[in-house]
Amino acid sequence: MGGYIFRRILQAIPLLIGISLISFGVMYLAPGGPIELQLDPSIAQEDREAVIQELGLNDPFYIQYIRWLGDFVSGDFGISFVRDVPVSDLILARLPNTLLLMGAAFIFAAVLSIPIGVLAARKKNTFVDNAATFFAFLGLATPNFWLGLMLIMAFAVYLDWLPAGGAQTLNAPFSIWDRIQHLILPMITLGTADMAGLTRYTRASMLEVLNQDYMRTARAKGLKKHLVIYKHGLRNGLIPLVTIFGLTLPVFFGGAVLTEKVFGWPGIGLLFIDSVFMRDYPVIMGITMISAVLVVIGNLIADILYALLDPRINYK
Amino acid sequence: MKLRRYVLVFGILLFSILLTACSSSEETNQPKSNSNATGSASDTTTGSSSKGAEKPAEQEPVYGGDLIIGSIGAPTTFNALYASDTASGDIIAAMFNSLTSVNEKLEPMGDLAESWEITDDGLTWTFKLKQGVKWHDGEELTADDVVFTYTLPLSDDFVSVRKSDFENVESIVALDKYTVQIKIKEVDADFVQRVPGYPILPKHILADVPVKELEKNEFNTKSPIGTGPFKFDKWVEGEYVKVVRFDDYFEGKPYLDSITWKIVPDQNALLAQLQSGEINVMSQLPASEFNTWNKMKEQGKIQVFSGLDLAYTYIGWNGANPLFADKKVRQALTYAFDREAIIDAVLNGQGEVAHTPESPLSWAYNPDVPKFKYDVEKAKQLLEEAGWKDTDGDGIREKDGKKFSFELMTNQGNKSREMIAQIAQQQLKEVGVEAKPRLMEWSAFINDYVMPKKFDAIILGWSLSTYPDPTDLWHSKEIEEGFNFVSFNRPDLDKLMEKNTKILDQAERKKVLGEIQAAISEEQPYTFLYYPIGNRAFPVGFKGYTFHPKSQIYQPHKWWIEK
Repeated sequence: MGGYIFRRILQAIPLLIGISLISFGVMYLAPGGPIELQLDPSIAQEDREAVIQELGLNDPFYIQYIRWLGDFVSGDFGISFVRDVPVSDLILARLPNTLLLMGAAFIFAAVLSIPIGVLAARKKNTFVDNAATFFAFLGLATPNFWLGLMLIMAFAVYLDWLPAGGAQTLNAPFSIWDRIQHLILPMITLGTADMAGLTRYTRASMLEVLNQDYMRTARAKGLKKHLVIYKHGLRNGLIPLVTIFGLTLPVFFGGAVLTEKVFGWPGIGLLFIDSVFMRDYPVIMGITMISAVLVVIGNLIADILYALLDPRINYK
Repeated sequence: MKLRRYVLVFGILLFSILLTACSSSEETNQPKSNSNATGSASDTTTGSSSKGAEKPAEQEPVYGGDLIIGSIGAPTTFNALYASDTASGDIIAAMFNSLTSVNEKLEPMGDLAESWEITDDGLTWTFKLKQGVKWHDGEELTADDVVFTYTLPLSDDFVSVRKSDFENVESIVALDKYTVQIKIKEVDADFVQRVPGYPILPKHILADVPVKELEKNEFNTKSPIGTGPFKFDKWVEGEYVKVVRFDDYFEGKPYLDSITWKIVPDQNALLAQLQSGEINVMSQLPASEFNTWNKMKEQGKIQVFSGLDLAYTYIGWNGANPLFADKKVRQALTYAFDREAIIDAVLNGQGEVAHTPESPLSWAYNPDVPKFKYDVEKAKQLLEEAGWKDTDGDGIREKDGKKFSFELMTNQGNKSREMIAQIAQQQLKEVGVEAKPRLMEWSAFINDYVMPKKFDAIILGWSLSTYPDPTDLWHSKEIEEGFNFVSFNRPDLDKLMEKNTKILDQAERKKVLGEIQAAISEEQPYTFLYYPIGNRAFPVGFKGYTFHPKSQIYQPHKWWIEK
């Protein structure tokens, strides 16, 4: 197992370099720059030039890239063009919020979708199953940002039950409950799309398991129906889901960017969007690389879990 | 519609469990979480009831209260020598003072300077400082701080978009503890607003920082020290910046306990949070959402302060494009626009028709310029005279085999401009001109089309500076690389523009500036659309505020909130 993990990490290196090269290339080709964005006649052309020069934005692509790569490898993410603070500080300040949101949304999705999926499989082709299918597709078809806006309108503006945005109430002492209240709407928004997929996968996977011989055997032995389904069935039904979790991580990350923007959730997704609009290249690169690393790690964890859950699989 | 309802029902179902818990805790949380200023549903009820009482006599200001201002942009630095965004500028205005500033009538006034004198040749400015001004750490501000601050940009190591503002400075010296003398190379009538308008930095803290490293110094983001009415408290990246009252402020102890700028993703979120009470100040209520916020105002949930902003919106015609080379054509296009109707439809009436590139708020504004009121017949006639005739009967005019058809570009996401583009298309069709609207992302729009002058016509706006120098936009030397991207070129006006800042007598200068404005209006390089009215939302019971057309944070030490 150790050897396998090591090999996988080695394999990730060229992948990450490829991602960085493409991201850097796209940014280089994109129009605009951090300085030219300001349409302010009181800023003189020579001042713009001086600042662009200082940031090294006039250098050819390969020089800029190699400079960035060198710094990155030595652990230096650079300094934000726009904010004049180290990119690592910016990301570290925001990463916990994103992980919290993604974690909460993930748990929300799993806790709701797995039982619903199992139920739908058990009650195949009944009203329950159809309703579950309907909501699953509705969830898949609903754009994240739109759902977020609707939730804000309903629960924050009209009903005034939950806050419309941010991560905490300002000018108030820290309270866990306050943080949870701020988390609820973004969590639902981000979790819903994923929940839909998970429900469908759980249902399919459970249907397959329910028809297996060992299930029939277990029931024939006189075990209670619940016990059969949740002890024998679910355990085996979950195995394919683990892979799905790993694979949905990038989708999840993309969703987090939009969700954070809608709710002003101060995570790296929001930082990413803002930085894209301000053409703050070092921050964009930093976040791209961190999310790439997270996705690689997520896939690796999925593979390891797969091995743990299914003894037939052995990574050598 | 059905889909939306389902999603809502779905959401409500999911949350029915949590609801009871939420609402009960909300009540217990609210009173202790915020003082009276921070809005919420409960505040608005107290607000409107106290308003119903309508106290006849002016109440004495009271201490206490917090304001939460919604801000779309995050600040970047608290050092004005590097800042160029409004989010930073607003917070800087609460924490720092400059030698001079501009009052609500846009006249220069002393800030840290008690008075100033200027020699007859206009080259030597002497500023007397107010005495007893304290930095937030208790040190006293002296002339040395001023000399230190304004000398920094003169260094070769200083790189910032703000450097050129100091180009005209010959020398800065402290004559005594409270007197600063600045010598300039050329006469500049606006000088008092340029260099002395920059906030003063503390020498005793920054003197040892090499100029090269100043931009990235911790002072700018983590520990700013100023002389302003509020001192820095906390900046949580991506969430908020909070400043608290500075008791030793030289113009008197401020009334508010604190001001917090909450960073909010966009205008929709700002409005939603204003409605739900998570922010209680919104400094630019969108005209397109007039009905929403006007209802809040009528319900007594907010107060709105209104006034003309120092800005205008226009359609710029690319003068280098043969289509718009003829003055008659440009005038005809302006005649074709019903600007009153545009203001009503797009801005819900929150604007005034503009005729010239200066704001009516400015002392330099010339009301007697050529005006082109909506007149379709006149527009058609001028186009005919310019040789544009519809010969093939397709409704679009031609000349020399070329149709009068062009692209009208603007930036995506600005609702008003998107609507103006559509209305322009309809209105120009009436006179036989085809305008094809095209929306672009801001950065691509500015860098790939506007600045390289690769456009036919654009809808844009200018925020004006408080001093009335038209050179940056209209001088022909700004065509190549500057902001004269409509390639306006009138050598006689160039001369007047060069002359204008050299005239120290305001009445005389006003004449010259008025002449420039009249000539530009006559030429119509832009179709001047409107001067927007700014609407700012504040909590009910908020007092001591004066609307300033340029500065959102104007004299915050006078702000207070009724108990």
